[in-house]
Amino acid sequence: MKRPPRAGKFSSATQDDQTTFRPQLTSLIDVMTFLLVFLIKSFSVQGDVITPSTNLELPLSTSHKPPKPAASLEITKTNVMADGKVLSMLSASDKTDSMIIPGIYKWMVFRRSQMSDTAQGRDVLIQADREIEYAVLKRVMYSCNKAGFMDFTILAIQKE
Amino acid sequence: MASLSFIKHKPPSEAAEIELDLTPMMSMFLILLPFLVSMAVLTHLTILEFSLPPNIGQAAGAASSEKPKVKLTLVVTPGYLLVTHGERMLDSLPLVGQQYDFSGLAAALVRRKAEMNLENEMVVASRDRVRLKDIVAIMDRCKASGFEKIGLSSATENPGEGR
Repeated sequence: MKRPPRAGKFSSATQDDQTTFRPQLTSLIDVMTFLLVFLIKSFSVQGDVITPSTNLELPLSTSHKPPKPAASLEITKTNVMADGKVLSMLSASDKTDSMIIPGIYKWMVFRRSQMSDTAQGRDVLIQADREIEYAVLKRVMYSCNKAGFMDFTILAIQKE
Repeated sequence: MASLSFIKHKPPSEAAEIELDLTPMMSMFLILLPFLVSMAVLTHLTILEFSLPPNIGQAAGAASSEKPKVKLTLVVTPGYLLVTHGERMLDSLPLVGQQYDFSGLAAALVRRKAEMNLENEMVVASRDRVRLKDIVAIMDRCKASGFEKIGLSSATENPGEGR
């Protein structure tokens, strides 16, 4: 059933008026081009070996060495974690006089047993909050050292 | 000149009719942008390498008969920095406006390295209350001053009492 042509003020619009309307895309293309250049510049095929923990703020560093795979420990303001597992609460470990933190020591001994005896892969990558004190870092490093780890690296955000 | 006059006298209505079709370009952008956004790296991670002093590390057992080599040591306390070599204190750098004097430290390290003909090894000895961000910043300055190999150790709170 055909509808009759509508009478009113719009019925007088010609076919030409409807087809000649086009949105202005030039400014949009400009924005897109800038975005494209910026994103290509920050494009990374390699990706990151390490995913930093979300509940800590890493320190800033001018170093340019890329992270490499290593046994990783995360030191937040409240606890020490590895692979998402809490190894020790810092408030609890503060109460003891011993330099070794048992939870960390046991975990690192376990990690050491999984590794070969070659010198490679005996590094510990420490992801620590920028506000933690050296006293905490010292005890973590001491526990790792007693488990057989000699060399340490601190993960940081590269300063531009 | 003839061609120029042709352009000059081109009717404006004809020039206005030439329009680029930007739709395919927009489509390409719309496909490319989400892909690039997902692969973009906005923060670059880096590492700072250091080792424990040999008398703490387990490898010390084998080399314990050898006399330890005296290295340039930077003592980091919450209130000042000290550059020492063995038992000699070389430089003292107090805080400048609640911050460590990083430029003074870099200058002192470069000067001492040249004067004493030191190798590229040094030890950063920190006290317990120093924050990690300051230790990292200080180690950065040490590396920039030519000391590539850095050992991290603890500074005694009261050297006179050996604690």
